[in-house]
Amino acid sequence: MDVLIQKYFWGIDCGSSEIKVVVCDASGNIIDKRKQPTLFPLLDHVVRALKTDDDKPSPFDSSGSLKEGHIITASGYGRHHIDFASHKLTEIKAHFMGVKKHLGLKKPYTIIDIGGQDSKVITIKENNIHHFEINRKCAAGTGAFIEALAHRLKLKLNNLTTIAEKHDKEMTLNSFCTVFAEQEVIKILMSGEKVENLIHALYKSVVKRVLEMTAITTDTIVFSGGVIAYHTGLVNLFKEQLKDKEFFTVPETQYCGAYGAALYGIEENPCSPNE
Amino acid sequence: MNLKDLMKDYFLDLDAAGKDPHQKIAWCTSAGPAEILRAFGFKVYFPENHGAMLGATRTCMDTIPTANAYGYSPDICSYLTCDIGAHLKGFTPLTRAYGIQAPPKPDVLVYNTNQCKEVMHWFEFYAREFKAPVFGIHSPNLLPEIADSHIDTVYRQFKALIAMLEGICNKKLDLDNLKKTVKLSWEASGLWSEVLSHLKHKPSPLNFFDTTVLMGPIVMLRGTEQAKEFYSFLNLAVQEMIASETSSIPNEKKRIYWDGMPVWGRLKFMAELFKKNHTCIVASTYCNSWIYKDHDAADPLLSMAKNYLDIFINRNDAFKEKYIFDTVKDFAADGVIFHDSKTCPHNTNSQFNMPNRLREKGLPSLVINGDLCDLRCFSDEQSTTAIEAFLETL
Repeated sequence: MDVLIQKYFWGIDCGSSEIKVVVCDASGNIIDKRKQPTLFPLLDHVVRALKTDDDKPSPFDSSGSLKEGHIITASGYGRHHIDFASHKLTEIKAHFMGVKKHLGLKKPYTIIDIGGQDSKVITIKENNIHHFEINRKCAAGTGAFIEALAHRLKLKLNNLTTIAEKHDKEMTLNSFCTVFAEQEVIKILMSGEKVENLIHALYKSVVKRVLEMTAITTDTIVFSGGVIAYHTGLVNLFKEQLKDKEFFTVPETQYCGAYGAALYGIEENPCSPNE
Repeated sequence: MNLKDLMKDYFLDLDAAGKDPHQKIAWCTSAGPAEILRAFGFKVYFPENHGAMLGATRTCMDTIPTANAYGYSPDICSYLTCDIGAHLKGFTPLTRAYGIQAPPKPDVLVYNTNQCKEVMHWFEFYAREFKAPVFGIHSPNLLPEIADSHIDTVYRQFKALIAMLEGICNKKLDLDNLKKTVKLSWEASGLWSEVLSHLKHKPSPLNFFDTTVLMGPIVMLRGTEQAKEFYSFLNLAVQEMIASETSSIPNEKKRIYWDGMPVWGRLKFMAELFKKNHTCIVASTYCNSWIYKDHDAADPLLSMAKNYLDIFINRNDAFKEKYIFDTVKDFAADGVIFHDSKTCPHNTNSQFNMPNRLREKGLPSLVINGDLCDLRCFSDEQSTTAIEAFLETL
């Protein structure tokens, strides 16, 4: 008698800041998700993110071999280094697949994915990626830009939205370049400006930079990606800039790419009806 | 015929000529009037090729900063900066490749601004360095049409150049020699065009990364028997590849048009990236730029004047857009990748909204940031993601 093997579909979004992992069943239901910082040697940390010490599922057996029925798909900048992954796809397609499954939108929409290393604006039409833009070779408009300035000001990333909410003045940061922005920030603070106003200006500069990447041609916007998860204040600023649009934030924004990768694994490995 | 040997012979001949007091050397831009120089008997050296060599060997990353420190901005042509930097450092990749200590010193430098104005600054630097005469052909540029007045402007400059060269060589131009050279140039360029047209075949026998190497003789040896022979041989070889269904990219699934300069220092990386993604770059603006279909031995100067104005880079955006659109259709490409080359705005066509205009016509396109030589402007990871994501959408 054939023994049916339960299949697990693992999606890894190996980003510049964090490694995100989602595991699904064959229907795309999320069984578990987890993340850890992107550290090196990379593969050791990817394996650590996949393994757990508790009773949560892991694709590896006690000897470290991949268990039967576990299909791993890798996405993100580190995808090509994950040699045990069965499938690889870009984070652009992964985020699209995650958003598609989460929201099921039929109308055209634009995904704004602000990542640690880069930002993407992805236009979806007729349920497919119609066009996308990635920021230029520059940290402005990405999580790295926010992170660098937060580090310089010795502020915790998680607190920035709360700090920005207390602003009482509109200011503009003129610099695109992270290094020059740091100089500008120091100059502004030396002149006695409140840090709350500065963080608000920092968020505004990120929003401005993302909106400069390409014209938004759809009426619906979906936010995805890790930076939105930490900096919810950015969403309100986008809403202020794009007043006539409808907005969605995908659930578990940070895991959307990993979820999309897992879904891609399901798509590439269609199960027979009795599975 | 072996390309490696052909190039080696060219450079060794040039090196020997540089050491022979009776042999005159001319430096020429890649789309300059090499035929006139050859008709006079000059050995012709092309600094742009030297720039590409510095780029491909990535030694440019040591020489660009030298030129920057000397006063040439990192934002200008990195062919210029890497080449001038190499000169200032006393370095050349020709040493490792062929045992040559330095490019030959020029007796005259001739540039044509049909490709950009940077060549003027570049050649003027060397004119000062070597105290050699320099002649600039200042072409009307960004042309929608090639009018008789434009041709006449260049024709008259060719005549002035010839007068100057007659003074340097102390002899009259041999018109028969010029006619012969123009004919050879036309024949080689026709054969090169034929080679490139074979990439229309599915699957394509060659790809862009092959043709960026194979184009060497049409740039450096046009107007010679060797170039004609090489492309005759290559043409037959490619026909045989097609007959035997030899495919450049195993399991070719997608076909791309490449606009702009190659990223010389990442040719192998890019070739492997496209190969891994079963994608063949079947046509390019760059490799098509040395096709001089109207060179006419019966009227050498006028036909050259027309052809050197007619090159893609010297035309306006409407012409370029139509050219790219038509070529994409002709080669059954699935989309266009624009290389936004940081230091080569003249050979970058994505900055004035052309990708969006082509997209509106149903042609998918992608812009990647990079540079012809300066790898500080190029990101492997970002380009890989952008290219793979683009290919996923096709």
